[in-house]
Parts: sequence; structure tokens; C-alpha cells
Amino acid sequence: MSQSLRPYLTAVRFSLQAALNLSNFSSQEVERHNRPEVEVGNTSAELLLQPMHIARNEHEQVLIEPSVNSVRMSIKVKQADEIEQILVHKFTNFLEQRAENFYVLRRVPVPGYSISFLITNKHTETMITEKLIEFIIDFMEEVDKEISEMKLFLNARARFAAEAYLEQFVY
Amino acid sequence: MEDWRRIDIDAYDPESGRLTVDDLKPPYPHILTLQELQPAIQQLRSYTSSGDFSAAVQLITSEPPYDADEQAKSQYLTGVLEVLTQVRQADIANIIKQLDRKQQDALIKYLYKGMSIPEGQKHGGILLAWFEKLTQVAGVNPIVHYLSDRRTV
Repeated sequence: MSQSLRPYLTAVRFSLQAALNLSNFSSQEVERHNRPEVEVGNTSAELLLQPMHIARNEHEQVLIEPSVNSVRMSIKVKQADEIEQILVHKFTNFLEQRAENFYVLRRVPVPGYSISFLITNKHTETMITEKLIEFIIDFMEEVDKEISEMKLFLNARARFAAEAYLEQFVY
Repeated sequence: MEDWRRIDIDAYDPESGRLTVDDLKPPYPHILTLQELQPAIQQLRSYTSSGDFSAAVQLITSEPPYDADEQAKSQYLTGVLEVLTQVRQADIANIIKQLDRKQQDALIKYLYKGMSIPEGQKHGGILLAWFEKLTQVAGVNPIVHYLSDRRTV
């Protein structure tokens, strides 16, 4: 792992450990509802906690928004050029369309970020919190590798296709 | 009135117990303006230019500008970021060891706030180094305090 990636992931890990301390909390406004307070337009400010920004540089950031019964975590994946922007968009879109298989994935990312997770008290009750954090950290490590791998593959393919196409003009 | 079912009647009830963001802030008798905070910023500058970073960090963490207005806070934060980014990596651990728990809580607020603005994100690496050293000393405690503390820097 590179030298600057480790402190970044450590910061995310500690912040998540602190934030993933959720309790079952019924809605104060709608009877018999139990909804993630970080997601609903809230008239009670005491249910939301201070948001945490973690930034490695301008392009790689994490935003963790905790509340009493849910945590929303958004990741901005590194996008150095236009190809990476397209790849990240396609990749996260692919995952989001299958969000119910990932349980904690949010279907739409928070504006300004590439992908968002929504963890509620249901998840921390049925899953091991440490493993959940481990999964997110793993995801953050893997997604960078995945994107750069895809980019290399795409370039190789494009070169091959261009060669094959242009060969017919060689006499 | 067609839409009377959607009227939020609780909003008209003074005893409904709803809290706004302003209700949660501790009441300060006097809100400091930029001019009043200027001496502290000057002091910070002089520590920075003389290279006395340990004293500078002691200053920013022992008297955080909780009771200042937004403009003054952002000016102060610029000064704080200047200090934090100029400290050498090797010295960070020693400076953090000298802080007590209250000061650690204040430091983590500067770190999170710093990473939320573009000037701080440019130096993300060094802020994360501070963060890592702080968690090595204090663990998850300052972060938990940060979450529920409504006094911001």
C-alpha cells in the first residue's frame, strides 16, 4: 500500500468506527415510521451529528454524515482524466443498479461524490460492524485498482481495434 | 384552503420540543468579530514565522474560537492550516503527546474542518498524518467527542 493511502484509510476507519454507533429510533414526526434520519428532510436538528470530511487531495475524498440511526458515507473516487470519469461513472452505475444485493449501497450518490453507502441501525444489528467497516475499506482499496486496470485494458483494446481498422488502408 | 391536511401544526406549537440548529449551539454572551479575533491571529502568525510550532499548536488547541462569527473562524482556520502544514512529519507525534484531552478534541475539529475546504484538501496528506498520529495517541475518543459537540471552529 502506498505511503499516503494508509493514513487516508486509517482516518476513514476510525471515523466510521465512531459514527457506526447506531440505535433504533422511531420517527418523531410520523407515527409508526422508522426512517433513516440522515435521509429525510429533518425538522429536528438534534438528530443529526457533525459531518466529517476526510480528504487525501482534491480528487479523493470521503464524506461521512452521521445521525442517530443511520450513517451516510460518500466516496469520491480518483478521476484523473475523461476516460476515468466515464469508467467510474459506468462502474458505480453498475453497482447501484444492483444495490439490493449490497444491502448498504445507496442507489444514487450524494451530489459531488461517485458512490454513497447508507448504513442504518438494521444493518449494524444484523451484521458485524467491524466487518462492515472492513468491507468499505476493502472497497475503497479495490476500486482504485479496478479503475486503473480497466483503463489499461481499454487502452490496449482501443489500440488493437485502431490497428485492425487502419490496416485496410495500407497498400 | 385545499391542502389543510398538509399544514404542519406542530410548527405553531411552541412546546412541541423541536430544536433548530441555532438552539443547539451553546449561548455565547458575545460573538467575536474578525477585528476582535485579530490579536489571536497575529499571535499565531508570529509563532509560525519564528518556527515555534509547539507553542502555536498549544495556542490554537487551548483557545479555539468557538464564540466567533463565520468570517473570523475562516480567517483563523487559514492561520491554523498554515501552522499544521508547516510542521515536519517527524515532529507531529511529539507535539501531540503534549496535548491534553480537551486539546485533542479541538485539534480534531481543525483537522475535519480543514479537510472540508479546498485550501486544506491541497495539503490532505499532512492533515491525514496529523490525524493518524492523533488516533495513535488517543484512539477513537476525540472523534466521538467531535460527533456530538456543537461548538465548531
